[in-house]
Amino acid sequence: MSTLTKMPQQGLISTLRGDRAKRLGPWALGLVALLAALGLQGQLYSGQERTVATIFMFVALAQAWNLIGGFAGYASFGQVVFFGVGGYFTAVAMSHWHFSFWMSLLLSGFVAALFAVIIGIPLLRLKGHYFAIATLGVAEGMREVVTNLTDLTGGGAGITVPTVGNNATTAYLGNDGFYLLFLGLAVLSVIVGGLVARNKFGYALRAINQDEDAAAALGINTTRMKVLTFALSGFITGLVGASYAFQQVTIFPERLFDVDITVLMIIMVVIGGSGTVLGPLLGAVALQFLSEFLRQNFTNLHTFILGAIIIVAVVLLPQGAVNYMREARRTKEFSLLANVRKYRL
Amino acid sequence: MSGFLQATVYGLLQGGLLALVAVGFSLVWGVMNVVNLAHGGFVILGAYVGWEMHEWFGLDPFLGMFVSAAVLFVFGYVLQRFLINLVINGPIFITLLLTFGLDLMIVQGMNLVFSADYRSIKTSYASNSLAFGSVRVPLGRLLAFALAVAITVLLVAVVNRTRTGLSILATGMDRGAARLMGIRARHVYALTFGIAAGLAGMAGAMIGTVGTFNPSAAASFTLMSFVVAVLGGLGNMYGALVGGLVIGLVQAWGGQYLPGTWVNALAFLVLIVVLIFRPTGLVGRAFYAARQEV
Repeated sequence: MSTLTKMPQQGLISTLRGDRAKRLGPWALGLVALLAALGLQGQLYSGQERTVATIFMFVALAQAWNLIGGFAGYASFGQVVFFGVGGYFTAVAMSHWHFSFWMSLLLSGFVAALFAVIIGIPLLRLKGHYFAIATLGVAEGMREVVTNLTDLTGGGAGITVPTVGNNATTAYLGNDGFYLLFLGLAVLSVIVGGLVARNKFGYALRAINQDEDAAAALGINTTRMKVLTFALSGFITGLVGASYAFQQVTIFPERLFDVDITVLMIIMVVIGGSGTVLGPLLGAVALQFLSEFLRQNFTNLHTFILGAIIIVAVVLLPQGAVNYMREARRTKEFSLLANVRKYRL
Repeated sequence: MSGFLQATVYGLLQGGLLALVAVGFSLVWGVMNVVNLAHGGFVILGAYVGWEMHEWFGLDPFLGMFVSAAVLFVFGYVLQRFLINLVINGPIFITLLLTFGLDLMIVQGMNLVFSADYRSIKTSYASNSLAFGSVRVPLGRLLAFALAVAITVLLVAVVNRTRTGLSILATGMDRGAARLMGIRARHVYALTFGIAAGLAGMAGAMIGTVGTFNPSAAASFTLMSFVVAVLGGLGNMYGALVGGLVIGLVQAWGGQYLPGTWVNALAFLVLIVVLIFRPTGLVGRAFYAARQEV
């Protein structure tokens, strides 16, 4: 640092690497948010604790989707398959093979990652809508496979994780435990997102997003990068699915492979700002909070209003809140109407 | 053997209907590069319009389907013109999300208005069946199949032979060049979407006549449209017809010979295999499969 500061290109280097304060600032903010989340726990009664735990769950899911969909630009429309595979692996491992939850959790992550590699190698050659639809097909197909493997998964009748009695391998965590578990997963996902965003790996993904041929010409092994990212994203989603399965105790294929979960992840990322770390975090918190509010106050209309909100948000802020604010601060152009014109025909 | 023949006939009849469901979806995808997740919602909406026509005016569903088509055409035109056109140049998940939001509103709206009960448009003749040797063919299905195929062929003729149709194709190939030739792209897009919605509505009215429907059936029709469009391929107007017939047969045979509900996984298996080994589909053009998103 001391020799560098004397050199004329100091300005350039400091912009490239960022000042220490600028680099560490977001991490410090994240730490404050984590402490706030831990402090909040004591203030909530158990129903609220469950709601907030669900918000954390979606933070982790949105961050995981953002790796493949936001940074690399591959719109995985079947992301829920890793959630389902993780969840079912844990349920089966705990009830049939008597694994402890923690062991199953870790293995679920790796199983989901392995599954991502297996489907990623053929599917990541596809682009755009074709990739989206192929992954959707995998998720829907896996739901049917799980439904039909009745001996292992209980089929459509569901499978129950033993939580009490002699068969219970790990005591049920309760609302307090799951709050901490999902908070931990959210923190893990944000850290992974933060590391990827500032890393050579993340720049490679952004290059792939912008122009895959050019990225390959720069010497990026695009296939390996994409498959690795898909696996990482699948790993986190698998962990979340495993935790969800334990939390729900009894799980069903329709819920664990529900395409709505994928869509929620995508909406959260898109509304917040894809390809950023803050975006999915904000998007998940805002949307899940709003959805819960609507569910409690407009029980019948809640899906309808949610649909309307998605439409308005997508039309007004197609690039997401965080990207819009960054752009607006740079260009001093805050008008939403001007923003709508960007993608209009 | 008679089981096989019966399944084959049933598969072909169902395939024709699926072709009509998917032909609009495939057209919209090919021309505008929009994957319309609300397509299944349009189908079911068409079924409800047909049901209402039959319930209140005693209109035969095979006439009521033209009312369904007209209502859905207007609905689709307005949606594209004033909403989807606003984000048409965005990244792909923007249009996916927008149409998903639409789907939520349409399906939930139908749930509120019509409830989640299963309905069916009842006619005096649709469940009568003709017997050919050991094979039985329900009259309603036969009629629906014939109309579905006829309308698909008519659409192909319109698109390939009229000025309007050619302007739709031209806009799909190169929007910039089409606009320079004086084609109003906004109108053409809206028209295309309207036609797609209208055909979906028509198919919906037929589906309501040959079987039962409720709002949550929308999702499965969207998925089937995906499968049929991908299997047939984009860029060839007969793609949906070929894809629909093949999927109809595959599902009918699968239902006959596979245990449990494995047949449900079959369509997705076909989808993935086609995408991996032949992304252009059975009869599609490579141009559309290789196209980069704009």
